[in-house]
Parts: sequence; C-alpha cells; structure tokens
Amino acid sequence: MAVLWGRGVARLGRGLWPSGRPGLPTEEGTLGGLCGPRRSSSASPREQDQDRRKDWGHVELLEVLQARVRQLQAESVSEVTVNRVDVARLPEHGSGDGGRQPPAEVQTGAEGATPALFVHWAKRLDKDKRIQQMRRQRLEKQLQRRAQNPGFSSEPKRLHVEPRLLSTQLTTCLQGCRREVPERPWEEQLARVLQEAPRKLSLDKKQGQQLKTRFANRQQKILAFLKCCLLTGHQSLAHHLLVTHHSQGRSQKLLTLDMYNTVMLGWARQGAFRELLYVFIMVKDAGFSPDLASYAAALQCMGRQDQDVGTIKRCLEQMSQEGLKLQEVFTAVPLCEEERAAVLKAVLKAKPTFKLPERPPSPVNTSKLLRDVYAKDGPVSYPKLHLPLETLWDLFKQQLRVELASSVRLKSVERPVAESKEVKRARETLKALRLQWEKALWEALQETKERLEREAHTGLPSMFPFLCLLDEQEMVQMLLQALQALPTQGESFMGLARDLGARTFGRHEVRRQQLGGQVEALKRRYRQYLHLLASDSKVPEPCLPRQYWEALGALEPPQEQPWPLPVQVELGRLLAEILVQATKMPSNLAKPRDCSRLVPLLYHVYSFRNVYQIGFLKPHPAYVQLLATAAEPTLTFEAVDVPMLCPPLPWTSPHSGAFLLSPTKLMRAVDGTMHHQRLLENCPPAALHGALDTLTQLGNCAWRVNGRVLDLVLELFQDKGCPKLGVPAPPSEVAPPHEAPLPSSTGLVCKAELRRELARSLKEAREMHSLRADALYRLSLAEHLRDCVFWLPHNMDFRGRTYPCPPHFNHLGNDLARALLEFAQGRPLGPHGLDWLKIHVVNLTGLKKREPLQVRRAFAEEVMSDILDSADNPMTGRKWWMGSEEPWQTLACCMEIAKAVRTSDPATYVSHFPVHQDGSCNGLQHYAALGRDSVGAASVNLEPSDVPQDVYSDVAAQVEVFRRQDARRGSRVAQVLEGFVTRKVVKQTVMTVVYGVTRFGGRLQIEKRLRELSDFPQEFLWEASQYLVRQVFRSLQEMFSGSRAIQHWLTESARLISHMGSAVEWVTPLGIPIIQPYHQEIKIKQGGGGLQSISYSINADSSLKPNKLKQRNGFPPNFIHSLDSTHMMLTALHCYREGLTFVSVHDCFWTHAADVPIMNQVCREQFVRLHSQPILQDLSSFLVSRFCSSSRPQKLSQRLEDSKLRETLLAVPKPGAFDLERVKRSTFFFS
Amino acid sequence: MWIPVAGLPPRLTLSSLVGAGRFCILGAGAARRKPLQARNRRGLSDSAPQLCPDPDFRKSPSRVKSKSTLGFNRYITSRRLAETMAQIVCGKQKTPPHLFLECNPGPGILTQALLEVGAKVVALESDKTFIPHLESLGKNLEGKLQVIHCDFFKMDPKGTGAIKPPAMASQDLFQNLGIEAVPWKAGIPLKIIGTFPIRSERKILWKLIHNLYSCTSIYKYGRIELNVLIYEKEFQKLMADPRNPDLYQVLSVLWQVACKIEVLHKELLEPSQEKLYFIQITPCRNLFTENLTPMNYQVFIHMVKHCFGKRKCRLLDHLRSLTPLDAKDILRQIGKKKEDKVTNLYPQDFKQLFETIQSSKDCAYRWLYDDRLEGRYND
Repeated sequence: MAVLWGRGVARLGRGLWPSGRPGLPTEEGTLGGLCGPRRSSSASPREQDQDRRKDWGHVELLEVLQARVRQLQAESVSEVTVNRVDVARLPEHGSGDGGRQPPAEVQTGAEGATPALFVHWAKRLDKDKRIQQMRRQRLEKQLQRRAQNPGFSSEPKRLHVEPRLLSTQLTTCLQGCRREVPERPWEEQLARVLQEAPRKLSLDKKQGQQLKTRFANRQQKILAFLKCCLLTGHQSLAHHLLVTHHSQGRSQKLLTLDMYNTVMLGWARQGAFRELLYVFIMVKDAGFSPDLASYAAALQCMGRQDQDVGTIKRCLEQMSQEGLKLQEVFTAVPLCEEERAAVLKAVLKAKPTFKLPERPPSPVNTSKLLRDVYAKDGPVSYPKLHLPLETLWDLFKQQLRVELASSVRLKSVERPVAESKEVKRARETLKALRLQWEKALWEALQETKERLEREAHTGLPSMFPFLCLLDEQEMVQMLLQALQALPTQGESFMGLARDLGARTFGRHEVRRQQLGGQVEALKRRYRQYLHLLASDSKVPEPCLPRQYWEALGALEPPQEQPWPLPVQVELGRLLAEILVQATKMPSNLAKPRDCSRLVPLLYHVYSFRNVYQIGFLKPHPAYVQLLATAAEPTLTFEAVDVPMLCPPLPWTSPHSGAFLLSPTKLMRAVDGTMHHQRLLENCPPAALHGALDTLTQLGNCAWRVNGRVLDLVLELFQDKGCPKLGVPAPPSEVAPPHEAPLPSSTGLVCKAELRRELARSLKEAREMHSLRADALYRLSLAEHLRDCVFWLPHNMDFRGRTYPCPPHFNHLGNDLARALLEFAQGRPLGPHGLDWLKIHVVNLTGLKKREPLQVRRAFAEEVMSDILDSADNPMTGRKWWMGSEEPWQTLACCMEIAKAVRTSDPATYVSHFPVHQDGSCNGLQHYAALGRDSVGAASVNLEPSDVPQDVYSDVAAQVEVFRRQDARRGSRVAQVLEGFVTRKVVKQTVMTVVYGVTRFGGRLQIEKRLRELSDFPQEFLWEASQYLVRQVFRSLQEMFSGSRAIQHWLTESARLISHMGSAVEWVTPLGIPIIQPYHQEIKIKQGGGGLQSISYSINADSSLKPNKLKQRNGFPPNFIHSLDSTHMMLTALHCYREGLTFVSVHDCFWTHAADVPIMNQVCREQFVRLHSQPILQDLSSFLVSRFCSSSRPQKLSQRLEDSKLRETLLAVPKPGAFDLERVKRSTFFFS
Repeated sequence: MWIPVAGLPPRLTLSSLVGAGRFCILGAGAARRKPLQARNRRGLSDSAPQLCPDPDFRKSPSRVKSKSTLGFNRYITSRRLAETMAQIVCGKQKTPPHLFLECNPGPGILTQALLEVGAKVVALESDKTFIPHLESLGKNLEGKLQVIHCDFFKMDPKGTGAIKPPAMASQDLFQNLGIEAVPWKAGIPLKIIGTFPIRSERKILWKLIHNLYSCTSIYKYGRIELNVLIYEKEFQKLMADPRNPDLYQVLSVLWQVACKIEVLHKELLEPSQEKLYFIQITPCRNLFTENLTPMNYQVFIHMVKHCFGKRKCRLLDHLRSLTPLDAKDILRQIGKKKEDKVTNLYPQDFKQLFETIQSSKDCAYRWLYDDRLEGRYND
C-alpha cells in the first residue's frame, strides 16, 4: 500500500476528526492521548517531521474507525478498500536520514494501542450516534469514490534519493561507493568527487525573448520551490525534485548551481552527509564547479557530523586549488550564528590555528557632499525624542504586538447605524456564514495541499511547500480577511492573486522571525537602541541612529528576498481559487434554514475592455446587500498600512529597516522588479549611507493628530460632508438613480435617454464612493491614533524621492490630511516664531503671493481679527479660513496663532505646528542652476530680490513680446490672441516642461485653458493653442537657454543609450544607483487550468529590451528629480546635525516655526554646494564608462554607434555666467 | 500642384486610378493644416482597368503614407457596378423617390447612377477634394443632390469636446436635412448607401450595432436601412451561425438578432479575385420587446461576449458566471441540454436565453453584470 493511499485516507480520518477546532474538546483529548506516547518514543524527533507524524496518527485512527465501520455493519463499505490501508508499508524511503522515519517499534506500539482506543471510541460513538452516522456515510461515499478512482490505487512513486547520472565516469564512482560498507567510504568519496573535472557544458542555443523569459520563469519557480521546501522542512522532497530534474536531459538544463546549493544547504543543516554527497556528485555531473556556498554547506555538514580531520583537510585543499579563499566563506556567504559555528567547528578541526576574519570597521562615506555630515569633529547636536525610555519601550511592545498579529482592526468613523432588528439579524447571519466559510476554507485548503503534494511527488515544482508556510488557521483567517475587503463591484482576479501572494509572504516573514528567535534578539537590541533616542538616557558619543544600530553588534543575515512574481501570482491564484470554491451561501438569505440550495458567494465574471478580457471576482449581490445592511463598524488594515507606534528601525541595508518584522523595500518598485534591488546590493555599502540616514531620520520624526481639526472634520464627515472643503459627502447625498418600473408606453428613444442618465449618475456615485472610502480610511486611522504618538517610516522611489510607507494616513496627502498632522514634539516659538506662523498662514491662503515677507506679515496682522474668529468659531463665525487655497491647513494655523498670541509671552509658547517652505518651480530652479542661466535664475528666484519673482508671468510676458511681433507682421492667429496671453494660460505648460511635456501635450493643456475663456473665439482653438505652445517653448528657450541645452543633451544621450539596447543608469551625487525601469512589455502567460489563465505583462525586468521612447523622454525629468531628492537629503542630514525636526514633501520642507531661519540657511547652502559639484561632468564620465565599450566592437555599425554615443556624451553643454553664491542671499528661493 | 478632379470625365477618372493599384491625390492646400498632405486612395476595380489619359496624374508625387485613422476609403469606380446597385436599391418603379445618404461617394459615380434612376441623394463626403466635383454633378437637378462635408463613419464621436469636421453630430446633420424621427415600429425613414472603409469594417460594425441597440445616433430616427458593399470574408462572419462554427462570433449574433440581412448583389474584383457583397441590413421591427430594451441591451451584449470568450465551453458553465439564478433551470426553460455548447446556439437562441433570465421571477438578482466593470461603450 502506498504513501498516497495512506495519506489520502488519512485525510478522511482528519475529516472525521475535527481536531483543533473549538466545540469538540473531548475529541481533542483523544488526539493528545494518541500522539503523546508516540512523540516520546520517537527516536530523534525533528520539528519538520510533525506533519508526517500527524499523518501517521491519522492512519492509525482511521484503522480504529474502520473497525468501527465494520462493526456497525455498513452495507456497502468496500471491505477490500479498507483493508488495503496498510500501515506497515508506509514509505521506507520517504526520507533520507533515519531520523525522519518513525521507528518500527512505534508502529507496533500503535497497533497494540488499537483495541484500547477502539473501546474508547465506541463509547464516544454511542453518545454521539447521529453525528457519527452521518460521518460514516460520508466516509463510505468517499472511500468508494477513492476505490473507483484508478489513479489512486496505482503504486505511487517513492521519493528519489539517489541521483541518476549522465556521466559514466561519475556513475561508476557512485556505484563504487554504493557497494561498499556505509559510513566510512562516504567521506572518502567526497574528496574523490571533488577532484572530478566537471563535464563540459553545452553552449546555450539562441532563444527568442519570449522563450528566454519563460525559461527564466521556470527556473525561478524551481528555485523558489526548493528554497521553500527548506523552510518548511521538506528537504527530501526538494532532493527528490532535484534528482528527477537532473536525471532528465531536457529538464536538467533548467537547473542552476544555486538550486544544487540550496538542497545541499538543506542537508547540511540536518547533518545528512550521504545526501549532501549525492548532491555534490550531481553538481559535478551537471558540469558546474562548486562555489563558496557549496563548500560552506559541505563544511557545515562536516562540522555537525563531527567528521574526521582527513576529509575536512582534503575538502579545504580542493577549495584552495579552485582559487576560493577560506576566509570568504565567513564573509561572503550569508550564514546565521548557528551555521557559522558549525562551519567554524569543522575548519578548526583541520586548521586549529584558523582565526575568524575580523569584521571590518564599518566604512565611512567619503563623498565630498557628505563630509560634513559624517565629520567626527565640530559641533553636533542630534535631536532626541521628547519621550522617556520606558514610554518608548512600551510603545515598542505595542507595535510588536500589532505586527505579530499582522492586521489591525479599528473602529470606523462612519456614523453608526441604529441597532434595529434588521441590522441585528444581518450581523448574526454574517457571523454564522463566516463560521461556515472558515470551516469550508479549512477543508478546501487541506484538500488542495494533498493534491499538490502528490503533484510534487511526480516531480513538478508545485505550490505545496508554499501552502505549508503558514499554519492553516492563519491562512484561513487571511482568506476571510481578503473576502471581507473585497470591493462590492468586484476585484480583478489577477489583482487579488497578487495581493494574496504578497500577503502570504509578509505573514510568513513575520512567522519565520518569530520562530527563529529573531524577535527576542530584536527586543534586546531595540531596547539598547532606544538609549540613543530617549529623552532621559545618555550615550557616550553622539552618532546617527544607523551608526548606533550597527555598533550594537553584527548585522543579522539578510532577510529573505521576496518571491519572484510568477511564484507570487501562482500562489495567489491558488488561494483565490480556494476562496471561490469553498465559500457558499444559501440562495435565500432571508430564510436560510428553509432553503437548502447553496449558491456560490463569489462569481468569476469577465469584463471587456477593448480587446482585453479581464477576469473579475464578484460577490453575490445578495451578499453585498447583506453587508450594507449589517454596516459593520470595524475596518481591518494590514499592519504595514498603519503608521508605527514606535520609532522605526533604522535603515541599515537595502533590505532591513522601517517596520519591525514586516519586510519593506528600501526602493519601492513594481512587483517583480529585481534590478533596483540588485543595483543597491552591488554598490559599496558606504555609498548608500546618505540615503539610509535620511530615510531613517525622516521616519524618526514623531507625529500626533491635531485633535481640534479632526473633531471639526468628523462632524462634517458624519453629517453631510462638504465637497468644497474636501470632505466627501456620503453616498446618500447623491441623487439615487431611479429604478422604478417604467410605464410600458415609454418610447424607445426615451428609454435610451434614461439609460444614459442612469449611467451618468452611477458614474458619479462611484466617484463619490471612492472619495468617501479614501476619507473614511484616513479619518478612521486618525481617530484610532488620536491620543498616540506615531511614526511614519519612509522609503524612496527609483529616483530617490522619499515617501512615507503607510499609504492612507500621511503628510503627503491633500490639504485635509496635512491639516490633521502636527509634530508630537513641541518647541518654544522663540523671538521670530510667531512671525513665521503669520507668514505661513498668509502663504496658505494663496494671497499676497507676489509681495515681500514683511508685507505678508503685515497683512496677517491686518486680518488678525478674522484669524482669531476663524480659530474660535470655525463653523459659526465669519469663516475667513474657508476662502483660502488650503482651508484646513489655514484653519489649523489660525488656531495655532490664536493660542500663541493669547499666551503672556508668545516667545515661550510651545508650538507643535509645522511651518512649510516651498521651492518656487523647483525643477526649473535645478535646471537654471545646472545651466547657470542668469535670466532664468532670476525668474525662479535664485537671484536675490525684494519681491518674489514669478516665472509663469515672466514667460507669459515673453510670449506676449513674440506675439506682438507676429501680429505686426500680419499673423492672423497672433492678432486673434491679443489680450489672451496670460499667466494662467501658460502656467501648466511651463510647470510641466521640466517633467518632459512635449509640444503635443503642451498644446492640449493650452487648448484646455483657452476653452475655459468664454470670450475666446472657439474656432481658433486649434491654431491658437498650436501657436502658443510654440511660443512658450521659444520663450523658455530664450530665458533658459542653458537649461534647454541640458535637457536636449540628456534626451539625446538617453536616446543613443537605449538605442544600444541598455536602460539608462546613473548615480546621484549622493551615490544612489539609479536605473530607469522602462522596458518593452512582454506578456507572460501562466498555465491555464483553474478558473482562468493568468497573463500579465512585465516591463520592468532589466533583461528585456528597453522601451526607447520612455527611456528617452523619461531621462531629463528623472535626472532632475534625482537632483532635487539629493538636495532634500543633504538639507535633511544637515538639519539633523543642527538638531532640527525636519520632514519633506519633495520640494516642500517642514520644520518648527522657531527653526525656519536655520532650515532656510541650510537649504540654501546645500543647494549651492550641490551645484558647485561638476554634476554634468560626473554624469558624462559615468555614462561613458558604463555604456561605451572599452574594446573596439567588431561590427562597423556598432563601432559607429559607439563613437557617436561617446561623442554626444562628452559634449557636455557649457554653463552660463550666473554666480551661484548669490542663491545664499535669495529670500524667495524657498519660501 | 492641385489637381482638378472635377474637370475629368467621370468615366475615366477613377477607373484610371485602379491601374496603379494605389493612387495618390494631393490634398487641397488651402483648407488643410498640413498643406501638402497627400493621401492614398484605392479604387474598386472595374473589370477592365484603363490607363489614365491625363498626364497630370502620372506626374503627381506618389506613395505618401496616409495617416487617416480609419484607413483607406474605397470608391466605386465602375460605372456598370454603380448602375446595377442603383437599380437594385431603387427598385423598378420610380415612385416614390427614396432619400439616400451616400457615404464617401468620392468621384461620384454611384451618386450619378442614383440620380439617374430618380433618387434623392445626400452625399456625405469626408474628403474636401471631391466636394466641388460632387457639387457640379447636381447642378441642374433642382436640389435632388445635396453635398455635405461629413464623414459618416465618424458620426457622433465619443468623448467630450468640440467635434471637428469631418466628424459631425447626427442631430445637427438630420436637423439640417429636415429629417424627422419616426417611431421604431413605423417604416424606414431613409436609406444609407455606401462602402465600408477598408480595414475598419469591424470597428464600424461594432459602433453601428451599439448605436442600434441603444437607439442612439442615426438610429434615434428610426429603423434606418443600410445598403453597403462588404468583403466576402467579413460578410461570412456576419452571417455565420452554428452551421459554420469557426466563423461564428459575437458580431454575427448581435447583427442577426437585430437585423434582417439580405444579399442584393455579388461582385467579383478582377485583379485580386476577391468577392464583394452588396447587402441590405434592415433593423427588425420586433427587435425590442418587453425584456430587451435600450435600457438593458448592454447586459445582452455582455452576455454574448462572455459566452464567446470561451466558445468551446458548455453554456451551463457560462451561465454560472452570468447570473446567480439556477443555471440548469434556465437551460430547461429554453429547451437546451446540459452539454450544449455556445456554438450550438443560434442567434435567436441567445435572445431567448436573455429574455428568459430577464423575465425570471424568483430572484431579485438576475444578472451579475455590472455597468461599472465595462469600459468602452458605456454612455
């Protein structure tokens, strides 16, 4: 009898035996009784065996039950079938090492226990006859079905242990060792195997892009399977798969050294030397030469096995012959503490004098720009948090609890519905349904697992180990959560699959750290780390959080990489399918008892968009209705979507930082993009310090909710909303589409009209709904965090721009979101703080934009009564704040001013309010500085001036000059445009020109503006907009000649680079490596079957050809963005050194009112320092070294391209005559 | 450089273009934004292509690629074909004279034929080049011919914003022509005659069928009859049913349910041996019922699209993703078997299926269809 059989039936047993579920405690007791003695008698229990052993328990239990079944004289139970369950013939080769196999005496012992258990069961059975009867029938049915299924009764394959080799020479050597007595010769064998020359590898044939990608996908899948097997303790399965693939010529090509190493590592961790050797033989057989990781695995295994010196010595000799250094095993191979110890043990045996390589002192960034930041001398006053150590420690424990739970449930701020009878009933129905689904999902999960395990046994890299990563209960909970979060109009199948895959990974990461004891280590370390930040503790010498964290000890081994996209999607698809199959609901929800017909809860429907056909999962309309009626007052968020309750972990490497346990990427990217990560990992660690420290610092800013503003917003929100103030109205405020039956006399045309109207109102309602949901999330989170201090961990995009990780509630949002936040740490206003608050409130209103600061301040004093009135009676007073450009922030500022002026001495008033300083047209500022354009620099406020300059008006004026010339010359369009060339018309185009807007897009923008002018003759729209956009570009060319030249140079370089077939890469002045992730899309189709085939397009993989157009058009704006992010980082780091609280929204810098002057000074200094660097020269030489080949290419065409590229890259545009130092004295540069 | 097309004798003009296969006429500079834009034209072949007598044609610069979104227009250049068509559509008796909207008459050979048999013609020409010539055709006919610069196939474009000529709003056009809307069940208000542009036949068929089911655009004015020339390949797809399952598709179902399609004439194109069908498409008087209305036609279209998304599947499986109702029950009601596949259903069966579900009484939720998931022809 077979493994499959055993297992298949075992599942039945499990079905009969609802262990682990509440409500049946007596049976749980039985389980304990059964397993208890077995566990203790097992010779060497290993954790990963537990699953297997459970199955054993089930088999035995099944026997008992079968006895019961027989005794109850079931008529049609197939006796034959039942008898075939044969425990003794369970796999002997199921695993490699003896420890994995239940010892013989356990089996007999179990059989001996049968009668006693039977009696026990009989008693239970009598008590519970009715249930048992049902179960029995189910068992019979299923047994019959199994018996009829021929695939099942066939002898299943055993797991392969011994490799089948392709090289005869190695085969003989393998046979040789098989014949000899075990134990001793294995070690000899290793040395011999090591000396074998690897087989010649056949050269890869040329493949098409599509094929190549598919091939790579399969490889990724296998590797992910093997790695995952290791994590879940299915080494023998991984080995089996490797052997299966290895023995087939065609699939062997798929295998890489990484895969062999992975399996080897698995055996090494177990100390299974024989299996390790098998893999080693296979490596040689496949034609690879073992690398450091392979040797590390071998040494580790030998360390664990306590091998004799000779073998180890030979191994080390071989290693040095291949040019691998022993030291590097400890530095280059990621090993955890325990593994390292095992390797060291082996090495010390052979070389008693060996010393572990010293950890090199962490390198210090030597970049010119950062020299000041990392200078040891000079005045340093790093800020501390305002909270004492113990408070922070409590906060940390809270956050840890949240992350361990993976999700946060919080109360919704939607106005609660009255608890009517109807609502109560709906909630009860939902609760009952959820219980049913939980059970159904659990069963479906079991079933799928078994099916996939069988698949894995046939040598397919199935998803089996991935499903074992989380325990079933957690998986089921996750699925239920996904179900609850499903939007009522449905979600795309692909989206859900991706999401589920990603969530599984996140949860698994948390579990892994929990089980691996890393949480404990983290706790210890974090407590020490808090000494740096807490207000009541001291550290010996001031240092940055990252430096302090690094000094606390060696870095832990890198976290697990996210799974490749195909794997993630495949797993998600599987889970989504389980969700669809398992969840059912009664067809009539009103009377669930009467109606026995069950209908699916989720339907797989298609939506048609042009030629695309997109699969959606859509909940049953009755369920949607039920949810709406129940109006449950809770919201569930993933732990990573909520701000943190304690200071985030400092970023120390591209993959560790931010959240405590949940994995976070340093550089955010589309799922499945690996090249950013690869670039970051390959660059020297010190080069990233600037970025890491900035992100750490931005994340370390403590926030709190502005309670008074929140109260006001909530009041509006729960009432009728106020779209004018950015508080969306509830759906009930939208005119509901009338669905009343039409009289039959209604004409067809009339019906058509009605339909269109209906569609319009539906669309409107939909937009309202999404706005409302967005606000609901934000406000609920704000309410949840009302009395807390919280932190927003940051990461960056591929250009280095920084963003907070929690998506719903952060300072990057709209006016409302920003008004809700203030610094948790307060600072006295000091002598000038109040003035800055006044200026800030005027800035927020959007009035007095072109007036100097004194005038703004004077204006604020003029309207002080309005300001105070707004603060005191925001909703009932004169409502001055509502007329502002940013009403909510204005209101918050009014309140702060009111509080400050009413204290006896405003200078001592402790303010929490962030004051902003905005760059004026920041993109053009950087261009103007790069090109040293005098005219341009003056118009974007790089030049000191009494009043702020406005580049849009300047451009409009320049356009007007050109227009007048043309009009005089008789151009019809120019004449028509008389009086229409205004700031407003050109503003958007000028603003976006930096970001690469083309003439085409610019024309559309201007056309839109002109259309808004009622008195403009509409028939001239096209010509006029065409004319204007040309003039705008011409004016910019005139004013920013240097900048335009740079823009052209960048574009041309990118065009040539992408023409050569590479994506454009560069390094920011701070040292962050950047690559543009625009590639030609390629469609990946993942096998059919199941609900739908999945296909998705990838365009971010660096192995693909670049998308030339996007690379070309994207380079100038992306380069400028990388510069503005550099400027922000420099400002942030220097402000930190000065002890300031600093956050940024790209080109808008925030700090306390008292510190604005310091921040302004730092900001200007850093801008000058940044642009004093030869930025373009550096870029040019980097691009030349990266993209121009050093050797002369063979083909003439290539040679031509190469020389053209080199020529272009070296022709860096000459800068103009603007004196950069003047920026330092410009008031309105950032204001 | 401008070529006076109007000056050519009609018999020689366009048939001469066929000799070159592709032909190029310079656009009239004054009216265009790109003054020297040239367009390719492809004429329909006469059985005996003739050489062009006018030397100007050979001198003209050739092979400038057209950027027209709808691809090439086709023009009828054979006098014989034009006469046949005119006779067919006007019938033998000459009373009452029908009103024809002719799409893209080009050189006006069919226009002339129609006028000769006594019809009243409105020529909708998208290319300004031809307009003077067309206007000259109707000189002595007391307003029997009206020429309008308009592209019939770009009528009522989607999206907001000003409509740029030659696109036009049907409302304006019909108002100018003084055509009143007639109820659906009444007769045929007017006939359209013309040729589908090459390469965009399917696009236009989709657009028209949406307009038809929703009673918008031209179909707001009643059951407008189309008389069009169409390639054999497209025609076969249009007329396909379970007897030729390989060609059977969504458009076949939608058109056959909505209209009566009749072949009036077949024509063989000489050089390419391709067949052209002259067909008449008349919307059915009884298309709309209590259950299928312009209110819910989208659900019907979605249903058919869904079914043909996996055409080899059983209907039963499709029903399970279309409606929460009991699929087997519905099958029983329309008299289909469990193992019936999509391609076994005749177009009328789809209508019946739709109406059965739509009229079902036992459940408040008949469809899983959601307006919000659809993309294109929503409004």
